[in-house]
Amino acid sequence: MKNGTGVHVLPQTTILHRRKREKKKRDWNSIIFQAIFLLPAIAFLLVFMYYPIEETFRISLTRSVGLGDADFIGFQNYSRLFASTEFRAGFMNVLAWAFWSIVIQIPLAFFIAFSLTAYRNRLTGTLRAVYYLASVMPSAIVAMLGRFIFAPRFGVIASLAEALNWTWLGRIDFLGNPDIAFWSVFAVATWTYTGFPIVYFMANIEQIPMEIRESAQLDGATQGQYARYIVIPWVSYAIRIVAIISTVGSLKLFDLPWLITSGGPVHATTTLAIILYKQGFVNWQYGRAAAVGVVIFLLSLIFTVAQFSIQRKGGDVN
Amino acid sequence: MFRSKAVVFVTLLLLVSLCFGLLATVSAQPVKLVVWGRDLPDDDPAHAYVKALVTGFKANNPDIDLEYVALGDPGLTDKTKVVMASGSGLPDVFQSWGGSVMGGYADAGRLLDLTAELKDLPCSPAAREAMSWKGKIYGVAPFFAIAGLFVNEDLFDAYGYAVPTTLKELEEVADAFLAKGIQPFACGARDKWPVLAFYMYLTDRYGGIETFADAQARRGRFDSEPFVKAAQHYQDWVKKGYFGDMPLSEAYGDAQQLMATGKAAMHITGSWMCAQYSDEDFTDQTIGFYAFPVLEGGKGKVTDIMGQTDIGFAATHVAADKKEAVVRFLKYTMDPEPCAAEPGRICSVPGVPSPSRLNEMASAVFGTAEVVQFWWDQDLPPMLTAPLNDAMQNFFIPDADVKSVLTEYEWLVEDHLGPAK
Repeated sequence: MKNGTGVHVLPQTTILHRRKREKKKRDWNSIIFQAIFLLPAIAFLLVFMYYPIEETFRISLTRSVGLGDADFIGFQNYSRLFASTEFRAGFMNVLAWAFWSIVIQIPLAFFIAFSLTAYRNRLTGTLRAVYYLASVMPSAIVAMLGRFIFAPRFGVIASLAEALNWTWLGRIDFLGNPDIAFWSVFAVATWTYTGFPIVYFMANIEQIPMEIRESAQLDGATQGQYARYIVIPWVSYAIRIVAIISTVGSLKLFDLPWLITSGGPVHATTTLAIILYKQGFVNWQYGRAAAVGVVIFLLSLIFTVAQFSIQRKGGDVN
Repeated sequence: MFRSKAVVFVTLLLLVSLCFGLLATVSAQPVKLVVWGRDLPDDDPAHAYVKALVTGFKANNPDIDLEYVALGDPGLTDKTKVVMASGSGLPDVFQSWGGSVMGGYADAGRLLDLTAELKDLPCSPAAREAMSWKGKIYGVAPFFAIAGLFVNEDLFDAYGYAVPTTLKELEEVADAFLAKGIQPFACGARDKWPVLAFYMYLTDRYGGIETFADAQARRGRFDSEPFVKAAQHYQDWVKKGYFGDMPLSEAYGDAQQLMATGKAAMHITGSWMCAQYSDEDFTDQTIGFYAFPVLEGGKGKVTDIMGQTDIGFAATHVAADKKEAVVRFLKYTMDPEPCAAEPGRICSVPGVPSPSRLNEMASAVFGTAEVVQFWWDQDLPPMLTAPLNDAMQNFFIPDADVKSVLTEYEWLVEDHLGPAK
């Protein structure tokens, strides 16, 4: 039939039937095709991600010592954990670690990265490699170095104190005083964990177009103003990413506190991951260890979602 | 016709020959025995017994293919826990310290009951008891360790001090050494577990040998008077500086170094240190071993000794079909031939001579024991030992409320073993 302009068109019902037939044929083939390619990835996720998460939740509701049957005890593991001094200490330690990582390590990394790019010279490349070297060293080596530096009597600081006759320095118990041990381990961690952010920030800062830099110079901006009004907004996305990595990393922290102080003295440097390890592999309390794992998982999820929400609200300068 | 019959005959002949050959090969194969241990059988003097055991057993038992796997520490305990939990990959024999950890494996049916085969093996009653659980014997303990007082005799002689026999004398001598700038006690509190030796004895001296056994059996509490008084006594000594300025920074290895270099006067620890403290390459100090002093007016006696298996072996149920080979191996671990190679540990096998003066002193103290209480972290279930070690570190915090710490530990014990009756 012809429409008002004289063009031949099919009746609506015919068009709809044809579309339905075509759609039906395309959907089946498409679905099968997509399923074949998605199935391995889905199977991998189910087996290695979702199943272990589900099992961890299930085991956290049982009393299990690994030998014999596990008894269902509901949320008792959680109530025991939150009543435990060690768990509360570990919980506060990881929150403190996350906070100070953002407050100290990120500004420090940014300061070093900005200095290296703003005052570029022959040493910039070498220094970048030196800073990054710490982050690629194995944790065991870093921990050994830390213990060697802070060891009483024969450590680097103790020997320096003796050589300079600084008895006040020699008397500081860096790893044995519960009030100081946290900061001693944090200092070692700062050295090893700022390498990657420095290199990452440098890469972002170097992306700033030359025209913007030159405009700032022509306008008479100081380095501080340039950093505050141009560089920081430019690398804000990178800063947020590093903040998320630092926060989630703090919640999962295990290697350095375990290797340097074994979580002591008296829970001063213990973390949730250390408690998980001790409950599972030392105390044979797999149910309680699983409960700690669930707490770490939920905290990581909350912090990650919160930070992404803040990022979405803040927007991206680019 | 004839050809096809010939072919069939030759084929049958070949098959029969093959079968006989296989049978001969299988029957000639030695029995394989897999043993997990901690130390490498190398030339390290501390590993002399293990080396003698492995090489000697292989030489004397060519029909047994011994595969000894050294897993180190904590590799041995960690891997053993994992395979016991999973029930697969178990060795035939593994090095064990007996006690409640071994008992847990026995209750789960992972171990091989060898009561009939080992009950008449000559050894000290304490060593046999250490490798038994609920009346059944699961292994052997060729070496047994006791806690005692290592004393730097050179320092004591130099200042004219006598070895203390009471806690009051011990404090007097500690004050005297402190005044002379010598750390009275080496400890190793940073590693947590070394604190236990001293605490076990202090608790015993206050409350008697039944104090711990009562608490463990829930006839008493872990925050009862003897435990609290012992903890407060410990804390007082820390405040006085008996353990140095930085006790929580001192690892067990540091403690040994302090004794070896004469910077510490005494060390309360296990007799396994006899080998090192006798080794002239390790120390030039003359060190002696003595029983822990008594508390005047206290309930504990000098013959109350804290001890544990030093080297022991247990068999698993997977070796049930090679019991004879397992028993031969376990009996050889208790043979004087390999035992004589050990440079320092107290041997529970009769007739093995002491390798050093220090070992002789430790064996003499062990010989006076009327009652042996197993090391608490071997006697308590695993879920209570690490928390106990964590709790004891609080004794080194001058303003810590040790009673509250012990009460919190008691709650944990109630959670696992039930409330005190």
